[in-house]
Amino acid sequence: MKPSVSITHISKSFGQVKAVKDVSFEVFPGEIFGLLGPNGAGKTTAIRVMLDIFRPDGGSVTLFDGKLTEETKHRIGYLPEERGLYKDLKLEPTLIYLATLKGLDEATARQRLESWLKRFELYEHRQKKVQELSKGMQQKAQLIATLLHDPDLIIVDEPFSGLDPVNTRLVKDIIEEQRQAGKAIIMSTHQMHQVEALCNRIVLINNGEAVLYGEVDRIRRQFAGNAVTLSGQGTFTDIPGVLEARQQNGDWHLALEVGVSPQEVLRTLALRDDVKLERFEIAEPSLDDIFVMVVKGGATAGEE
Amino acid sequence: MRNTLLVIKQEIANTLGKPSFWITALLLPLMIMGFTIGSQVVVNRMFEEEDDSALLNGAPQSQAIAIGYVDQAGLIQEFPQGFPSQMLQKFESEAMAQAALESGELQRYYIIPADYTATGELLSVEPELKPFTRFGTTDLFSNLLSYNLAIQAQTPALLLEPLPTINERALAPQDDHGLGGYDTFAGFIVPFAVLFIFFFVLTMSGGFMLQSVSREKENRVAEVLLLSLRPRELMLGKIVGLGFVALVQMGIWLGGSLFALERNRALLNLAADAVILPSGFVGWAIAFFLLGFLVYAAMLGAIGALAPTAREGSQFTFIILLPLMLPLWFQSAFIQAPNGALATFFSLFPFSAPMAMITRMVTATVPLWQIVLSLVLLAATAYGLIALAARFFRADTLLSDATLDWKRLRSELLNRKAGA
Repeated sequence: MKPSVSITHISKSFGQVKAVKDVSFEVFPGEIFGLLGPNGAGKTTAIRVMLDIFRPDGGSVTLFDGKLTEETKHRIGYLPEERGLYKDLKLEPTLIYLATLKGLDEATARQRLESWLKRFELYEHRQKKVQELSKGMQQKAQLIATLLHDPDLIIVDEPFSGLDPVNTRLVKDIIEEQRQAGKAIIMSTHQMHQVEALCNRIVLINNGEAVLYGEVDRIRRQFAGNAVTLSGQGTFTDIPGVLEARQQNGDWHLALEVGVSPQEVLRTLALRDDVKLERFEIAEPSLDDIFVMVVKGGATAGEE
Repeated sequence: MRNTLLVIKQEIANTLGKPSFWITALLLPLMIMGFTIGSQVVVNRMFEEEDDSALLNGAPQSQAIAIGYVDQAGLIQEFPQGFPSQMLQKFESEAMAQAALESGELQRYYIIPADYTATGELLSVEPELKPFTRFGTTDLFSNLLSYNLAIQAQTPALLLEPLPTINERALAPQDDHGLGGYDTFAGFIVPFAVLFIFFFVLTMSGGFMLQSVSREKENRVAEVLLLSLRPRELMLGKIVGLGFVALVQMGIWLGGSLFALERNRALLNLAADAVILPSGFVGWAIAFFLLGFLVYAAMLGAIGALAPTAREGSQFTFIILLPLMLPLWFQSAFIQAPNGALATFFSLFPFSAPMAMITRMVTATVPLWQIVLSLVLLAATAYGLIALAARFFRADTLLSDATLDWKRLRSELLNRKAGA
């Protein structure tokens, strides 16, 4: 299967700042691909280079097996992190304008828009100005603008921002539907549990470089042994060799530094008087743990 | 091209769809016109009550004007030929004149004191204060006094108007288009109205460009648009769309003003066949206006592309619009000496030419070569500025939040920053 997106060794600098350094990845039709990284890592710049908004200093971008042309652009739907709608205009004409810029004729855009507005429960609000809508409604409207022209490549940056659990579920369902329809989807988010739930593969960018790339399950197996789950009395923080300790459903979940074994942590805890350990087990790290380990601890994927 | 047309359509629909546009386009000129013409009407009507110059010319009276006088100096011996002596009533004492005034028989009376020839002071008594009227001696009574002082028909007329018949012979003959020259109401108000309208429409339509670009930056729509459009397509669409909007606004203002002037020819003391605007004016006006719009829209659009918000961009607006203000500041030079050196310079200088040349053309006949030269210079400037603005319409500037200051503006102008 040919990839919808093929990024090969792209680099982009702004003055002295190297925003993206030698990043490569591919995204295939029918998959949800996670583009992860801390704030300022270079994700948005990578997306903008991919979309020809910025020209790369080096490397190449191939979309749908060729260069990005005006026609190819119409096959892309992009939901930027910061909502991009005319706040002082009414919702319906704004969405129709953006859809017509994507190659749809006005009648078709209007026809499709009705069903999308109804599905997102925005139909009653279509004549309201965008600024009169709640943040969640604006996010849903932005998502409609991304999907209205039925793109083959969908790029969504923080798609769940501002959404309540019901609408989060709705958006997840829609993303999954699009995947099943054979669309290539790139999702950038900091909500790691959503990545775990939706993404087949990920790339993690840190300081402009791709530091992790591959299937989610494989990456998690590579990082096995770098996290422990425990329960007991006391506060299990400030433990040497632990990058992050957080409480989860009454248990404590610890992400370990590179080179620190669970046994070393167990020995440390056994010597402490301020905590009483009742249960200690090696955990398969979550993507959240892996993110913290890689970004804060400089870990890299080990061998399976 | 399709997307550029969509942007044009969107800009037109957006701007014309705003109530604020129509309030500015319709109500503001109506208010200004209403105030200007209304105040003129009020003042003129008050003057009409007082104006007795027609009496001096022996014009028939529609209503009797009763003016009394008490001649304590014994000066008034006879009336000049054709003088409407029936309008004057002599009283032997001030008390009698006062009684006649209070009973409504008189509109006013004069007292010529016994020492008038020594002091030159005349007392005018009226039933109420009329602040807008000429408060001193009226032409009628002044003429009568002058005549009796000189007892000659010629002398008082010359005293009143020392240069009654001047035959001006201009080396460069000028056609004032029948407005009557700058010292008439029409000769002043028409060029001033044209100057004012061009200034407002150019600054406002240029401002639309700044607002439109800034709005898309502030709302983050630019990022979505740039996936569908090239930055220059976006700029072109905005310029053409807002240019159309500017023409609509100009049509409303100029058309409305012309309509108002046509309806008020009497107020302007214009003959029925007098031409308010010279032939071909509309064509020249459209050409100068559109090129002027391109110049200012390009500059303000560039500022919009560079500045993170409209508010930050507006600090440069005054500097950019300054050349447009010069003809307003020197308006008297344009209206009094339309073919003078200053007016000629401003009408050839591209940044003030749209206003200056059009104002000159309304006031006098401008040599064709100057009009053509001005248009060529203006077109060249518009082309250069659009090319310059297109350099600033880049993805990295349109998506940037960087503060715009003079240092950054200078760097961008010198093209020191690498483009995206």
